[in-house]
Amino acid sequence: MDITRQVEQLLKQGRVDIFLGYRELYGHLIPHGYTMDNLEDLENLKVSQHRYSLEKVATHLAEKKPDLKIGIIARDCNQRALNILYTWNQLNPDNIETLNVNCCPSKTRKHGDCSYLEPKETGWFKKENGIDYNAEPDAFMEEFDNSERFSHWMYEFSKCIKCYGCRNVCPVCFCPECSLENPDLIEPGALPPEVPIFHLVRATHMAGRCVDCGLCEDACPAEIPLRFLYRQMNQIVGDVFGYNPGEGIEKSPFTIIGDKVTLEPKPMDA
Amino acid sequence: MNCKFVPSVCSYCGTGCGVLFEVIDGKINSTLPLKSHPVNQGKLCIKGWNLHEYINSFMRLKAPLVKEEGRFQKATWDEAINHAARNFNRIKEEHGPDSIGVLVSAKVTNEENYLAQKLARAALKTNNVDHCARL
Amino acid sequence: MTNSIAEFETDSKVIFVIGSNTTACHPLIANRIIKAKENGARLIVADPRNIQLTKFADLAVHQRLGTDVALLNGMMHVIIRNDWHAAEYVEKRCEEFEALKKTVASYDPERVEAITGIAARDIEQMAELYATNAPGALLYAMGITQHTTGVDNVKSCCNLAMLCGNLGVPGGGVNPLRGQNNVQGACDMGGLPNVFTGYQPVADPEVREKFASAWNCGELSDTPGMTITDMISAIDEGKIKGLYVIGENPKLSDPDKNHLDHVLKKLDFLVVEDIFLTESAQVADVVFASAALGERQGTFTNTERRCMLTQKAVEPVGNALPDWQIISRFATALGHGMSYDSPEEVFNEMASLTKSYQGMTYDRIGIDGLQWPCLAKDHPGTPYLHKETFTRGKGMFHAIEFKEPAEAACAEYPMMMTTGRMFAHFHTGTMTRVSNSLDTEQKTGYVDINPADAEKLNIASGDMVLLTSRRGEIEAPAQITDSVPPNNVFLPIHFGENPTNTLTSSTAFDPIAKIPEFKVGAVKIEKLIA
Repeated sequence: MDITRQVEQLLKQGRVDIFLGYRELYGHLIPHGYTMDNLEDLENLKVSQHRYSLEKVATHLAEKKPDLKIGIIARDCNQRALNILYTWNQLNPDNIETLNVNCCPSKTRKHGDCSYLEPKETGWFKKENGIDYNAEPDAFMEEFDNSERFSHWMYEFSKCIKCYGCRNVCPVCFCPECSLENPDLIEPGALPPEVPIFHLVRATHMAGRCVDCGLCEDACPAEIPLRFLYRQMNQIVGDVFGYNPGEGIEKSPFTIIGDKVTLEPKPMDA
Repeated sequence: MNCKFVPSVCSYCGTGCGVLFEVIDGKINSTLPLKSHPVNQGKLCIKGWNLHEYINSFMRLKAPLVKEEGRFQKATWDEAINHAARNFNRIKEEHGPDSIGVLVSAKVTNEENYLAQKLARAALKTNNVDHCARL
Repeated sequence: MTNSIAEFETDSKVIFVIGSNTTACHPLIANRIIKAKENGARLIVADPRNIQLTKFADLAVHQRLGTDVALLNGMMHVIIRNDWHAAEYVEKRCEEFEALKKTVASYDPERVEAITGIAARDIEQMAELYATNAPGALLYAMGITQHTTGVDNVKSCCNLAMLCGNLGVPGGGVNPLRGQNNVQGACDMGGLPNVFTGYQPVADPEVREKFASAWNCGELSDTPGMTITDMISAIDEGKIKGLYVIGENPKLSDPDKNHLDHVLKKLDFLVVEDIFLTESAQVADVVFASAALGERQGTFTNTERRCMLTQKAVEPVGNALPDWQIISRFATALGHGMSYDSPEEVFNEMASLTKSYQGMTYDRIGIDGLQWPCLAKDHPGTPYLHKETFTRGKGMFHAIEFKEPAEAACAEYPMMMTTGRMFAHFHTGTMTRVSNSLDTEQKTGYVDINPADAEKLNIASGDMVLLTSRRGEIEAPAQITDSVPPNNVFLPIHFGENPTNTLTSSTAFDPIAKIPEFKVGAVKIEKLIA
């Protein structure tokens, strides 16, 4: 059955109140919420190569109406993000229905069929001073020593224009209070934001969270290799805890810190 | 509950980045970059990402205001427009059309700018039309 | 812009940025510049301040405030002396080259070093980088235009670009980065005292006849009107009694705030149309409440002449109305009937009277937009201008001598001041200061002071200082940073409680463009004892 009829059935059977997919407008594919009130729109339902975080939209909807039943077109990365959102109680899995589209790279194919994973050519100046778009972690570690790697990362961070796009677009960023905006951690108002603290603070918060969807890197005006950074971070999480974020819905090793997270500094001599 | 995404263009600087407004139940809930836009290619700056915050601000003007004895009073559109028009027509009669100036805006649409200069030229009969391009 | 934003990334071999803090003020153009650099293009940055973009430049120089003509003449001197200019292009497509050559002959690098403070060898290198890598894009913003020599500065940029054959080619051009989302459109739509839409002169009887008959409004005035700068003086002299201000906050954006406050009180009647009760709306007699972006449909034209359609996403707040409806109703009440059912109807009327937009319709514009000139329904739009020939035929060089800015440092006002924007706020702060996320970045005004000056004046970061100019005084907290050179300060313009334009001059402006010299002024700084 084609996807349009599947969505129609989900809506008509009342299994979902709203279905998040895409529609075409002036040649652009943009997200859209399909409901019983706009069934006629379904004829424009599309699977988009340009991917938006529909699961983040779902959290916005659930925030306003917690028992809303939401359907989502889910690529592999959406599915991984959904798992994290279930783990952290941001969405209730009982209220989410997914129609799956498989696309991510695997053993049989190196690149996915969404727009993110197309290899990009890296210019010489970026190669020399920053980090190759297509850098493989092992090769990068081998090619440069510690201080060289540091300076390459510093170059990348110094391009930041503090748009917060990496955080805003992130499907698994949902804290009501964000450390990036805590003036005790990062001085506000400066451009670029404190190098390297801003990006390292975000990177630590991605540990045990990041599902490697690549939305941050795609939204980054400075093309900082954020995906590479967070992958390295989660390599450590994997090695230490054997935890691979988004793979399943088991509890994250990071939930043991407790459910109350505070930005207040803890006394050192407790 | 309904949810739609409406394309727009950022209203800050002159770059013209394409955005999508996430509209939930008739309210703009957030702003996203439009991935396939020819200008910004799915990226935004801090101002663009937060466009909805000023649109939703509780400080927004919600009705026309008329000043009476130094204090603003809420008015109907007919009251406010007729009051303003009476005074402009009086000034025009007493001092001629060039005693009125119109500042159109680099923040409103082309259609609105077109109408504003048309208002100055066709209704007030003055070419005293300018805007903040210099500022 | 003569060219398109995307071309900087795809076509330019050298990018020369002068007088633009691009990463803060046009971030989504800055990213193209940096990408171009990463892909092998060369980058030259000339700015009095040590801006973020300088880090990525092959060569970054810091000219003394207001010395751009000398710097550009110096570059042209070196280019001509070395025969790096595009001789064939100049011969075929330009005129008055000999006059230019004669004038720039006296701007040898040593003389220019003395004027600008830029080392002679750097001027030589800038000239070589720009002239020997083609095509080259020149980008500027208000750092070039907001001077008593604004027109001279712009003409000098054009001279340089033409000299190297950079106009009429993809990846080249003279590219002013416009500061407001529809400043290009407001100009295109005839929001200027001397022209109707598409820059059709009001002084031309045929043009007037065309509009008068389309508008069915009787005779139209043949006298060019006043610019905003002239209007302020005319209000002061009692010549202008009524003012209708749409979406603008002159009380913070115009120079010499104290004088302006005084002048605005002389108005018989002030109408302000806005989405917020701005500083200017507060002193109005009538305030019209407008719908914001997303609350109405309509088109905007960006800095690369791309006309784009925005859609209505939600209903206007409260009783606010779209500006097109307010203006129509106001015009009708003033005695000229206007009745439109939709912005599209207005657009079609405008396009029928405006050659550069005449091929556009809402359906064609869509999301991607169309770049003017778009002359027919099947015309694809124009990514770059002046392809075969210039609008006037031959490109004319203007021989221009350097002139000092209106104010210099003196015993009483020993520091030089420049003003501008910071990355998290916009213009008079009307839209950004009510935004939580932006307010979090920067809650109040400030003044950037170089560490050397701070030490001399015993000022620490966060100390309140008093800034005084010939016009007035303001207080602001100090921010110590080497982004400003010694003896210079920078002030953002966004903050009503530290109104920077109290300090700027309304009598120092370009004689032709009437643009105030916001970028150069002399001030005194004193530490305020808490």
